[in-house]
Amino acid sequence: MILLAALGAVWKARPVHAALLLALTLALTAGLYLTIGADFIGLVQFMVYVGAVAVLIVFSLLITRPGDEAEELARRPGAVVGGLACVLPVAAVLLYAVSQAGDLPPGTDASPTLSLATLGQSLFTTYAPAVLAVGVLLTAVMVGAVLFARDPDKKPPTRSDP
Amino acid sequence: MMPPLALLLTVSSLLFTCGLFAVLTRRNAILILVGIELMLNAANINFIAFWRYGPPDPDLTGLLFVLFSIAIAAAEAAVGLAIILMVFRHTRSTDLNRLNSLHG
Repeated sequence: MILLAALGAVWKARPVHAALLLALTLALTAGLYLTIGADFIGLVQFMVYVGAVAVLIVFSLLITRPGDEAEELARRPGAVVGGLACVLPVAAVLLYAVSQAGDLPPGTDASPTLSLATLGQSLFTTYAPAVLAVGVLLTAVMVGAVLFARDPDKKPPTRSDP
Repeated sequence: MMPPLALLLTVSSLLFTCGLFAVLTRRNAILILVGIELMLNAANINFIAFWRYGPPDPDLTGLLFVLFSIAIAAAEAAVGLAIILMVFRHTRSTDLNRLNSLHG
């Protein structure tokens, strides 16, 4: 699990491997959820992130072929310094906040027996509007992505006229 | 074996920091999207951690919030990549330094 954070750090190394390391990081996060006891979220994370998002990113890297690795690395030092200058204060504040948070609840060791039935029930009663909204969102996203990804030069397939 | 809550929060902070660093330093649009995914994940870890360690919650708020957050993150990734592909088709590049046609 600490490996997870380490991987997130190593992950900055190279452009193309970054996507694969992202997939690894996401998979380890899923493992983390499984360890904590959020089984369902762990599985969902694995399917959606590792299965869909990471593969999507790898494929678009394949399509776009980022070739300018040397240029990127040459340009690196300045950008890395600038990035660190911006990022380190954020990290310091976050870690300080975590370290100052006294009296964190120790957590019950008994893993919560969370049945899928309970989850589904509250998903479709209390949170039914949200589920509907997500459905609409996903539909809109699908239509939008198809519209974006369509080749604009190609004519839409016309019906073969008699 | 339960890791302490502080450890989870630390992991999440570091993950968020890595994502922020990627977003700030990368110049390839797809890798910036990768950084955004990392940051969203860090937020999800926090939700799950507080759900798990907080008082018992019959409504499962944290858990379901993460569920919706994952769905929205997937949608965001799909739309983002579609936009990037469209830009790539126009300019043959995903390097954000070259996408400066709006530069005044």
